[in-house]
Amino acid sequence: MLKIQNLTKTYPTGTQALKDVSFDVKDGEFLVVIGLSGSGKSTLLRCINRLIDPTSGKIFWDDTDITAAPPAELRNIRRKIGMVFQQFNLVKRSSVITNVLSGRLGYVNPWLSLLGYWPEDEKQRALKSLERVGIADKAYNRADALSGGQQQRVGIARALMQEPKVILADEPVASLDPVLSHSILQYLEQLNKEGITVICSLHFLDLVHRYATRVVALKDGIKVFEGSAQEIDRAKFKEIYGEEAQEVRAASL
Amino acid sequence: MPDRTASNFQLGMSGFLSALIPGLGQFIRGQRYRGVSILLGFLVMLATVYWYANPIWYASPIAIWLWNIWDAMSPRARSILLPVFFGLIAAYSIGWRVVGIDFSKASLSRAVAIVRPMLRPDFIQAKREHNAMWVNVQVPCSPEPPTAIREDAGRTATVIPNCGPVGETMIVSVSGMWPNAQTNVVWQNPIGNPMMLGEGEISMLVLTTDDTGSLTTAIRVPSTALVAAPDPTLPQFHRVYFDQYRPIGGYELSYIGNEVLKGALTTVAMALIATALAIIFAIPISFLAARNLMSGNPITYAIYVVMRTLLNILRSIESLIVAIVFVVIVGLGPFAGALALAVHSVAALAKLYSEVIEGIDPGPIEAIRATGATWTQTVRYAVIPQIIPPFTAFTIYRWDINVRSATIVGFVGGGGIGFLLIELVRVNNMRGVSAVFIAIAIIVITLDTISSRIRERLV
Repeated sequence: MLKIQNLTKTYPTGTQALKDVSFDVKDGEFLVVIGLSGSGKSTLLRCINRLIDPTSGKIFWDDTDITAAPPAELRNIRRKIGMVFQQFNLVKRSSVITNVLSGRLGYVNPWLSLLGYWPEDEKQRALKSLERVGIADKAYNRADALSGGQQQRVGIARALMQEPKVILADEPVASLDPVLSHSILQYLEQLNKEGITVICSLHFLDLVHRYATRVVALKDGIKVFEGSAQEIDRAKFKEIYGEEAQEVRAASL
Repeated sequence: MPDRTASNFQLGMSGFLSALIPGLGQFIRGQRYRGVSILLGFLVMLATVYWYANPIWYASPIAIWLWNIWDAMSPRARSILLPVFFGLIAAYSIGWRVVGIDFSKASLSRAVAIVRPMLRPDFIQAKREHNAMWVNVQVPCSPEPPTAIREDAGRTATVIPNCGPVGETMIVSVSGMWPNAQTNVVWQNPIGNPMMLGEGEISMLVLTTDDTGSLTTAIRVPSTALVAAPDPTLPQFHRVYFDQYRPIGGYELSYIGNEVLKGALTTVAMALIATALAIIFAIPISFLAARNLMSGNPITYAIYVVMRTLLNILRSIESLIVAIVFVVIVGLGPFAGALALAVHSVAALAKLYSEVIEGIDPGPIEAIRATGATWTQTVRYAVIPQIIPPFTAFTIYRWDINVRSATIVGFVGGGGIGFLLIELVRVNNMRGVSAVFIAIAIIVITLDTISSRIRERLV
């Protein structure tokens, strides 16, 4: 159970990215966050694992206050929260398996990891994660030699290495060819069915309908909607995205 | 072009003003930039012709002046192609004079004298063995001169008479040498300097032994035999040498060839040490000169600006000039050259490194932090993999440049192959010079190929 309470983030530039946002995420949910670019989706996701420190408000994970966690505890929290990014955020020049192994950094002996040494069982675990996303054969390729869809699968394999209880996915399919969207989201759906809570920001309404068990919508940093995906019809969509918005259907592309 | 609608009177007026001061008409009609440019162009051209050129080139400023009046009197602005054309013609012809292009001083015979030996680089020579025999002879005579006969390993050399003053004719003979072989007959003074005995004492006396390995010839005691003697009246022993050489098959490095190899090795090593020294200083400096790291607060930003300025100044000083300074400080030799290269490389590498740091992708850093990694793990897995390959590529590239520069800093005493080259040029040893040229070309091409291969792989 993840409780987000009165979360507010003001950047040093004065931009208010989040204004008093509160909602709960139950274990095992596939929660989708929607909203325009700049509505605060990325800031919200990054506040959950404190890549960004919120200005005020609290986030509780079960009974732990994430926002108050000291550095060592924060690292222990982070290693249980996998993250998948819009731009994949792989180290392009490193091999695929090194990228995947780096998901394990929170668990292994820090000194050995600094030397670049990985125990055999961790390597096996990395290969298994890659197998789950279907690209075990690419393990020793350079990350930037892979296509966008494959790179995002490496990103998911890296998150899997953390044995996460929660996966944060920040627009995981926005940089991909729309026809690849389903293949990536199906992996997340599969993980969700195995019990991992997924919090994912998305753009396409039909993807929201297809995958979300619940939806939170942000507009200018304010939560404007919380409910089931089916409740979002065209009228609601226009309300969230503004009058000029036109729904683009991924399936029709 | 802006429209300059105006009455005939106004056009005439502006033409008149431009005739008085070029560009004034245009300036008054609102084309200020154009007016100022015309005036400046006209003045620069006038001054150049006045200072340097033949009076005929006054045609150029005059042409610009006329065009300027025409332009001022036209309702619409005229193309500037014409005055640019006049200006360029004048600039090129004045440039020609300043450079002093003059082929009348060129000499084909001098060119041939230089180039012909260069076609035979002095790098290797046929292996040969040496058969040398000598005999003492006293110059000038003492009251009781020793006999000028010497026997050694079945060979006998004699001089008759056994002593004499400078210019004395002597009969020298030798036996037991290799038969039918070319033999150099050379005079050697007491301090070991060889002197030639051929025609006019400027050529080698070369003779051939007979079937039994003997030869006899008349020589004159060289006029310079006593030049180095502290007291020319003091009798001293000089030597007459008989030298024979014969090939024994195969080739070996010549003396110069050996020096070239040593110089090449020194040069590459100089570049290596200079680059290594530069890396040590450039890495910390590059972090201070990276905008993205330093623009956080005014103090670090000030450090950034100071660092960048220092690096730019340092980079603008050619390593040849720095080498002159270091030759004075640490003395002649490769160390001075390496230090000079290092100074320039620090500036160049620090700038390249800092640009790598500025171009780092923050995405992987955020991703690694999100896995629960510590700060050091984040640096190790997100920052270092991003900067090491370009750092290495730039460093190898710099080493490549340093090898080229290392050949040049030798000219001012910085050691290595450049030093050898300037020495060979001074003694007019063109065969050696061409061996050095070839060695430099091979080094540069080899390193260039290797470094570009490695860089292709890294980036």
